[in-house]
Amino acid sequence: MNILKYVLLIIVAIIMLLPLVVVASSSFKMETEIFEFPFHIIPRNAILSNFEQLKDNFPLYTWNSIKVTFITTVVQLVTASTGAYVFSKIQWKGRNAIFMLYVMSMMIPSQAVTVPQFIIVRNLGLFDSHAAIVLLGAFTAVGTFLIRQYMLSIPEAYNEAARIDGAREWTIFARIILPMTKPVLITQAIFSFRYFWNDFYTPLLYIITPTLKTLPLGMTDFTTEQYVYYGPQMAAALISIIPVLIIFLIGQKYFIQGVSAAGVKG
Amino acid sequence: MGTKKTAQLGKKPFSIVKMVTILSFLLPSFIGFVVFVLAPMIWSVILSFTNYRGGPNYKFIGLENYINAFSSPDFWSYLWITAKYMVITVVFQIALGLFFAVLLQNQFRGCGFFRGVYYLPNILASVAVGIAFMTMFRPVSEAAGAPNGGIVNGFLISLGLQPSQFLAGQDTALGVIILVSIWQNFGYYMVLFIGSLQNVNTSLYEAADMDGAGWWKKFTTVTIPGISPILFYGITVAIIRGFQMFDYVYVMTGGQFGGGPAGSTNVLAFDIYKMFTQSRYGYASAEAVILMAIILVLTVVQQKGQKKWVVYDVV
Repeated sequence: MNILKYVLLIIVAIIMLLPLVVVASSSFKMETEIFEFPFHIIPRNAILSNFEQLKDNFPLYTWNSIKVTFITTVVQLVTASTGAYVFSKIQWKGRNAIFMLYVMSMMIPSQAVTVPQFIIVRNLGLFDSHAAIVLLGAFTAVGTFLIRQYMLSIPEAYNEAARIDGAREWTIFARIILPMTKPVLITQAIFSFRYFWNDFYTPLLYIITPTLKTLPLGMTDFTTEQYVYYGPQMAAALISIIPVLIIFLIGQKYFIQGVSAAGVKG
Repeated sequence: MGTKKTAQLGKKPFSIVKMVTILSFLLPSFIGFVVFVLAPMIWSVILSFTNYRGGPNYKFIGLENYINAFSSPDFWSYLWITAKYMVITVVFQIALGLFFAVLLQNQFRGCGFFRGVYYLPNILASVAVGIAFMTMFRPVSEAAGAPNGGIVNGFLISLGLQPSQFLAGQDTALGVIILVSIWQNFGYYMVLFIGSLQNVNTSLYEAADMDGAGWWKKFTTVTIPGISPILFYGITVAIIRGFQMFDYVYVMTGGQFGGGPAGSTNVLAFDIYKMFTQSRYGYASAEAVILMAIILVLTVVQQKGQKKWVVYDVV
């Protein structure tokens, strides 16, 4: 029974890792060798020309991705943590009603608001700019929810004691509560990073100028109407995967915590 | 004395300072919420009754967009494809997630490795994943002299089976996309369920053991009720994501003008995008409203149905 279990687990693990192996291996192969039968992992003639084809545009795409991802993640952390604080640590009229609206907005599919969002962004004069992606990503219902849940578990006594000492809310927030929520902030930062690093839909809609493209958008450069250039595409995919992979290996526990914590609401 | 206390609490003076403080915390998220979520949602509904195409001259046309949608066979086929994709991915993602969660919930040699590897695809860009699977599922061709193609067809041929057209085949393209989606996402639900399984009270299992219950009996009477709130949450999330799927269709079946061979992967979310790129904003909005309405109805039905099987008070 135990052996059977291991055999099954190992077979599934191979299936899970196979596509990554194919990407890594193919990115060093010539176009014809990628599709040779039988498939071999180690290239017969390892080449770097797939990566060389990326050197004109991809440093810029990578830089754009880093910039957009970093800024949007920071903005999300600010809006989510201040929002979480006002929904957990301060009493006010209408608090629960507005929070319910936030929670309900998690159900809205992004396509359902695409057209008006586009009109708003265009009227703000931000079409075809990174600012459009940042603004559209600034609000996060999930992140606000996640951090709020965590703040609710911090005893009220901290706030009460600080208020008696005459501390103002922003001081309590910045000096006392925020440092205590560090684990969930890291979790949220990792999830934001992953989301914006990988996001395809928003840049596809809002970015036209080639020099403003992010990595996921740039990866489709090699798919034309007539032909798909697999080699460079594999190399580009590999480059985009490596940073998330490193973060995953370092911060695996925060990923796991983030998934579990999001489920707490039940 | 009791009345005096309530009176004091009720007489809390209106404080500008407090209001400014609250607003300073609330506005960063609230502005984003109103401008980019709430207003667009309402606006979508309004636009869906117009023939807006981006120009200054547009008018309200009543239900015309909706009538056009529901009287078009294409629209029904998009709905049908969406439903197939959603139902199959939800069933398999949840079932596999639960199966491997149960298998990997206890600590044993290598369990961390397997959990990590199964969850791993979930962190990758769907574009990168789509590209990888396109390579793996490439149809066989004779172009370079010798037969060549993706690794999956190579595997089928080595087993003496017929190779398949996969993403280029009308009957197989959606199936490949469904497979990719299951591959990438079941690990998420696995992690979700592992967290919840660890909170199921072990004494309930011991009690079931004493009653002589087999593993299936224990699974259905202790495990499922014990994690039912998270199971319910997982199913809800999977359904909503199922309706939103867009990236795979775009990347794997033909880009902006795609939608698969004979439109076989043209889900509703993709058609909204297509209509959007053709500046048919009014019609795209009507489709978006229909999408929202379907999700809303399903959520309400689920909320009602959950009372029958979701248990919240098992400790």
